[in-house]
Amino acid sequence: MGDIAAFREGLLEAIPSLRAFAVSLVKSSDRADDLVQETLVKAWDKQKSFQPGTNLKAWLFTILRNEFYSQMRKRGREVQDSDGVMTARLAIHPNQDSSLDLDDFKRALATLPEDQREAIVLIGASGFSYEEAAEICDCAVGTIKSRVSRARSRLQEILGVSGETEYGPDGISAQVTNSSAVA
Amino acid sequence: MANEKTAARKAGPKGNGKNDPLGTNTEIGRKLRQYYDELMADDVPDRFTELLKQLEQKESDRSGTERN
Repeated sequence: MGDIAAFREGLLEAIPSLRAFAVSLVKSSDRADDLVQETLVKAWDKQKSFQPGTNLKAWLFTILRNEFYSQMRKRGREVQDSDGVMTARLAIHPNQDSSLDLDDFKRALATLPEDQREAIVLIGASGFSYEEAAEICDCAVGTIKSRVSRARSRLQEILGVSGETEYGPDGISAQVTNSSAVA
Repeated sequence: MANEKTAARKAGPKGNGKNDPLGTNTEIGRKLRQYYDELMADDVPDRFTELLKQLEQKESDRSGTERN
């Protein structure tokens, strides 16, 4: 009973990140939530195959991703909706600190092929290591690295930004700290 | 404004360094996290908490009967 409750807690905690990953894959919140629901049910049925102490989040992401690709195969490949549903549904919060518009970013992200999109999201946002991402995507670490790198170059190209920025948060803070100007 | 900047700096990812191609010093890295954090901030719909409750209920019923 205690184990089951702990497992349920673990699933509950993972839901926000599972939903975020699902939206990155399917681009529609409704379908994303269906995918998360399927994932939770599957995870529950397979809970005996989960080894306590290992990474539950990575295990759940693997299930979600497998579910996504098996649904894709069943439905046949859908027409890519580059700047439709997802972009329209997500709220826009303009960020004063940043020169690049988040909406443009979403649109650019949506144009990436699935394998590159999932790789850059897993590494750059979900907080997985290259090794974990490789396990989730059932491929070699080198494959993840090259997908991330291609995704990044593609986004930089579409959005017209370069790699490093001299005006990043650290740069700004350093300038502010070093300046002796007092208001 | 000052607070936001401090927060942004503190919120840096683990292992962020000059060499991290998706680190906080890169525009793409920052946008990616902003995009994701916004998705993460969504409230979890009730259907999921309900679902987990049901699954747990089902499980404890079943293990009760299995144990003869």
